[in-house]
Amino acid sequence: MILPGFIYFVIFKYFPMGGLIISFQDYQPYLGIRDSPWVGFKHFVRLFTEPTFAMLLSNTLILFALELVIFFPIPIILALMMNEVRHRLFRNSIQTIVYIPHFMSWVIIVSITYVFLSVDGGVVNEIIAAFGGSKISFLTSPEWLRPMYILQIIWKEAGWSTIIYLAAITVVDTQLYEAAEMDGASRLRKMWHVTLPAIRPVIITLLILKIGNTLELGFEHMYLLLNSLNREVGEIFDTYIFTAGLKNGQLSFSTTVGLFKGLVGLILVMFANRLAKKLGEDGVY
Amino acid sequence: MRYRTAKLLALTLSGALLLSACAGGSGDSGTNADGKTTISWLNIMHTASPPTDTVLNKIEEITDVDIQFSWIPDASKEERLNTSLASGSLADIVSLTILENSSVRNALKAGVFWEVGPYLDEFPNLKGISQDMRNSASIEGKLYGIPMQKQVARNGVIIRKDWLDKVGLPVPKTTAELMEVAKAFTEQDPDGNGVKDTTGFIDRSDLVFGAFKTLGSYFGTPSGWAISEDGKVTPEFESESYIQAMDYMKELYTNGYINQDFAVTAKKDQQEGFAQGKAGIYVGALFDSKGLFNLAQGVQDDMELVMVNDITSTGNESDRAIWSTSNGVGGLLAFPKSEVKDEAELKRILKFMDDLMSEEVFTLMTYGIKDVHYSLDENNGATIINTKLWEQEVQPFSSSRPNENGYAIVDADPLRIESTRLIEENTTFAVLNPVYSLESPTFSEQGSELQKIITDATYKYILGKLDRAGFQNAIDTWRKSGGDKIITEYEAAHQTVLNNK
Repeated sequence: MILPGFIYFVIFKYFPMGGLIISFQDYQPYLGIRDSPWVGFKHFVRLFTEPTFAMLLSNTLILFALELVIFFPIPIILALMMNEVRHRLFRNSIQTIVYIPHFMSWVIIVSITYVFLSVDGGVVNEIIAAFGGSKISFLTSPEWLRPMYILQIIWKEAGWSTIIYLAAITVVDTQLYEAAEMDGASRLRKMWHVTLPAIRPVIITLLILKIGNTLELGFEHMYLLLNSLNREVGEIFDTYIFTAGLKNGQLSFSTTVGLFKGLVGLILVMFANRLAKKLGEDGVY
Repeated sequence: MRYRTAKLLALTLSGALLLSACAGGSGDSGTNADGKTTISWLNIMHTASPPTDTVLNKIEEITDVDIQFSWIPDASKEERLNTSLASGSLADIVSLTILENSSVRNALKAGVFWEVGPYLDEFPNLKGISQDMRNSASIEGKLYGIPMQKQVARNGVIIRKDWLDKVGLPVPKTTAELMEVAKAFTEQDPDGNGVKDTTGFIDRSDLVFGAFKTLGSYFGTPSGWAISEDGKVTPEFESESYIQAMDYMKELYTNGYINQDFAVTAKKDQQEGFAQGKAGIYVGALFDSKGLFNLAQGVQDDMELVMVNDITSTGNESDRAIWSTSNGVGGLLAFPKSEVKDEAELKRILKFMDDLMSEEVFTLMTYGIKDVHYSLDENNGATIINTKLWEQEVQPFSSSRPNENGYAIVDADPLRIESTRLIEENTTFAVLNPVYSLESPTFSEQGSELQKIITDATYKYILGKLDRAGFQNAIDTWRKSGGDKIITEYEAAHQTVLNNK
């Protein structure tokens, strides 16, 4: 039964890796990989010497760190809270409501935010103005981009990400809870000493997977939020690859950027996996 | 179990085969069932949806060709054209409207498309393409497609005349007067609803086709680049007038005379905002006036528009100037060698292009079918009689016309007549881009990437987040990251052109 998955990885993940060759060439589509001229490390030199490089790397890492610190714990907390809700109907409806944003595309999420936050007639700014405050240009201020970005992710994905945790929680042995109760543990204590340790492997695995996707911050999302005024904090590898590669047609250069991005991701995963093993968990390999 | 695995494998493989079959089968020109030549056309769509068949059938009838359109929305033309070029999934005709884009330029230079220069004179309408136009559209002296001939300079200012009357101001002649109008429109409640909810300007996030570049022309900014007498090339943003234009925009912004979100406003929202009476000054293509007027029907019924194309910062007629959109070349209609296999096929397509430029097809693509979409008066003046239908069936074609100038039938709508007259007049004052036909490899490769540095800095300056020194820093970064190289290359290319003369 592993075969379809295997074929999928070979066809869509390993086979295209051959294309990485073009980052050492000045690739021209009509010449093909075979006839495009070799340029060695030219594109790598350009990447590391361009002033944009430091900006891209720091923006990507900062956003990643924010996502990890702020977003990652939220589904766990949410799952724990939902687990404590005893009323079935209430719990199910809450679950459904928090899932819904996941099924909307980023275009819709970002458009809704635009409607809320614009300066001319945006609801939030109108409320601020009504209370006598001065309007804030959320959409064009570099300092608002990161909070906006993280909040949108929380809104869209927090509910969906609880699914795995909730599933993990349901298989926790009920005897453990009973035993804890005998020892006089309160609800909060049970959560801390029983539920959390029980789902720890799941949390660690998801954390490693998350780190593996470090640099996959979500191109679509950021691309929609970017503009001339917040680019300094918002341009990340994904958006840069898109503009350089597809809009300006620098296929080789953008492949180089992508390759670098992949390498950083690989290093981080190996690091996280080692850390997990040190902490006595299984890791992912 | 084994049987199921085999079935799954078979399914996966056949799926993969199917996918590859889809990728390989498109775009062959040939003949269809009724013996008509089939021509596929990868085209740019400037409207919300592609045209319906009515007019298309007519065009096909006249040209005796079965046209297969693939439409690319204008907003995503860069990535779509580039992916098509990279994957080789092209059509017989490809509308290349972004000639400055590096991969498009490289593809042209690499000979992906037929060079059509030598064939033009064999066809009556194509023969009429002027030598100037052919030169402007050429790359290194070779013409790789049929140039799309547009007006040289079509921008200007559109103002609410009824609002001007209300606040008691004349039609502005200078940038200072324009500022007065913007101020009055913002502060004197021109729509008379008792609430201060209007602004002077409404602009969009576009420094070129929005207000900024046109205002720049009024201050005397060169169009893109300037070449001095002694052959020195300087970019527009190093001119004093560029700073003046930024200061002007900054004044508009800080005083609230312009929509505060202009840096993130889309064209559609800008036009709708204007039509809804949120602002009274629109800077853009002069022929947008008709569209704005149509859009305002039922919302702002007392809207009256006046178009202005003679604003200067000094008030002297001699200082009039207006930047030109790529010197009147709207792009190339190019024919890839991978699709158009031989000379005979190329000639068939050129014949089709020639037919498209005929008065008959031009009329179809512009006004539609007589007495269905438009009516004609005795002076050859066309009036659109069914705007909704025209927008659906005709308007999408207008951006595909190889030529937009010099036909007998003219639009009889007063706004159209006026905008045509003003755009015509603009030609006299047009400031051309002097490096348009010069070659700079660095610009081709990194130009648009570098331009981002300047665009970002310009916005920041206007919004007051960057001062003069900060803007100068951005220019220094631009120069260091490749700008200096571009300048040297343009100067060399300019010198070569001079030496050859």
